[in-house]
Amino acid sequence: MIDQIKTKAKELLKTKKVDIVIGYKKASDRIGAIPAFIDKEGDIDKLIWDGYCVYNLSNYLKDFPGKKIGIVTKGCDAKSMTVLLQENQLKREDIFIIGIECSGIVDEKRKGGDIAYDERCKGCKPATPPIYDVLIKEEEKKQAPRLEQDPYESVRKLETKSIEEKFKFWQDEFSRCIRCYACRQICPLCYCPRCVAEQTQPAWFSKAVSVEGNFSWNVNRAMHLAGRCIDCGECERACPAGIPLRDINKKIEKDVKELFSYEAGVDTEQKPLFSSFDKNDPEDFIK
Amino acid sequence: MQRLITKQDLVNKLTELLKDFEVVGPKELSNKGIFYQVIEDAKELYLGQDFAIEPIKKFFLEPSSWILRHAKDDVSLESFPQSDKKRIVIGARPCEAKGLALLDKLFDSEYKDDFYINNRKRTIVVGLACAKPDMSCFCTSMQGSPAETSGMDALIFESGDGFIIELVTDKAKHILGSIGEDIKEDQKLNKDKMKALVKKVIKTPESLDKVFESDYWDEVSRPCISCGVCTFLCPTCHCFDLVDEEKKRMRCYDGCSFPDFTLEASGVNPRPTKKERYRQRVFHKFDYFKKNFGENLCVGCGRCIRHCPVKIDIADIVDKAPI
Repeated sequence: MIDQIKTKAKELLKTKKVDIVIGYKKASDRIGAIPAFIDKEGDIDKLIWDGYCVYNLSNYLKDFPGKKIGIVTKGCDAKSMTVLLQENQLKREDIFIIGIECSGIVDEKRKGGDIAYDERCKGCKPATPPIYDVLIKEEEKKQAPRLEQDPYESVRKLETKSIEEKFKFWQDEFSRCIRCYACRQICPLCYCPRCVAEQTQPAWFSKAVSVEGNFSWNVNRAMHLAGRCIDCGECERACPAGIPLRDINKKIEKDVKELFSYEAGVDTEQKPLFSSFDKNDPEDFIK
Repeated sequence: MQRLITKQDLVNKLTELLKDFEVVGPKELSNKGIFYQVIEDAKELYLGQDFAIEPIKKFFLEPSSWILRHAKDDVSLESFPQSDKKRIVIGARPCEAKGLALLDKLFDSEYKDDFYINNRKRTIVVGLACAKPDMSCFCTSMQGSPAETSGMDALIFESGDGFIIELVTDKAKHILGSIGEDIKEDQKLNKDKMKALVKKVIKTPESLDKVFESDYWDEVSRPCISCGVCTFLCPTCHCFDLVDEEKKRMRCYDGCSFPDFTLEASGVNPRPTKKERYRQRVFHKFDYFKKNFGENLCVGCGRCIRHCPVKIDIADIVDKAPI
């Protein structure tokens, strides 16, 4: 599989079809992976592919304006590119998508060293990217079994709680937030040049690490991704405080699905949820 | 001065101290990791070998703290009152305590930071020696060790079922000197031997001047996502922002990795890309601070490596800098 990735990357650079290939290489610990930015043919052998290639690389597309980019892309990462294309943040002709039929990535935070598939991979199907220029398939025997799991299991559990219990639950979780904004920075869809959290005139919410400030930040972040989040799970992985951010994202995803029959990131031709209007849209929540 | 104590001795002593002291120590939160928190009951303490995610710094230089407010006349300003409650921190690691010793050089020297100094003065730091440094730890390359006592009042070592406590300062001898029993000469620890537990060893150049303009910084900073994990979790990073909210002035953590950190009112940003920002972080730690205060502004705790969302390894980057 990695040979196919390397061959394609080499061809793309040689023919000058792209200026740079974004992929993965070994991290300094020799176990994990780190994003790799290959612009010389001689560096192609650094590329790797394994279960530790956890990052959603589409976050780096904005770092190379005006350049043609080849990018190694898992199924979920391609969905965020779909949203970026819908929102006119990318030009399709500027990117060459080396699609990977991913068989799941490793849960790095799991203790004990045993390799387990990440929680976010369990409800993922299909693992084939919705858009690609070339598709590289995982050998069949290596494919992880797809579990028939309810993707909203943990959201449904939270929904049964009372308002007071929910508040208590999130207050506890958010109390550990250190406002490092890793959740925002790792997110390919958080691309605002100036985030609401950084505005000071007016300051929309408190910068203090406090109940109020932390609630405002985390809820704002999630709401700005309503109808856009494709659940790559990078925010939750990046969070050093272990806040279950995917539960908030998934709750909004579920609501959007139920209210508007809308799913983000599956179709580039589809209009973004918030810039489309249908007279049949439900409005009973407007009071 | 070293003494032998049992776990029960320690729990009993802390329970007694809880009457007059605020006790801060590591707590294990299920599935989340280890966090330093105020302890209500000595039994809540986690004294295992896993590292806390945040360093003990947050109890000395708080993530956000009120420093100034409008006085009653609504015109003049007054300092925000600070707590003078006596405090004991237990279980801080040698690297984190060394971080405090480095912050002392900055906040308690030519410039006196009343808030930081107050927090330092009212606190006794009892450290816990590291028996299991992990693959991100590199304290021995930063003049530290798993049993270093710099910045601490006392240090405890796991030993059999109990601990050996080394009392460093008079403050610690006064409060903790009565617990346990005297240690025999052959029971004393060989602290030098503990250095070998740390496997990651790097070299740091005397000066990075020569490589300031190198493309190396562009290359190594590319994976950086410009978040605040490395700076906020660093035991020595101390940059802050001042924010006015509701007639009060607050200072809160800020970091050189954020694009906004150096954004000027004119719209000019002297560190416009990740290259300049990441280089600043490396230079502040391994060049500027060393020139001003004689030591690296890094204690080798490995937090920025362990928790970096994209596995950037500052130790490796400094080690391989093209000097």
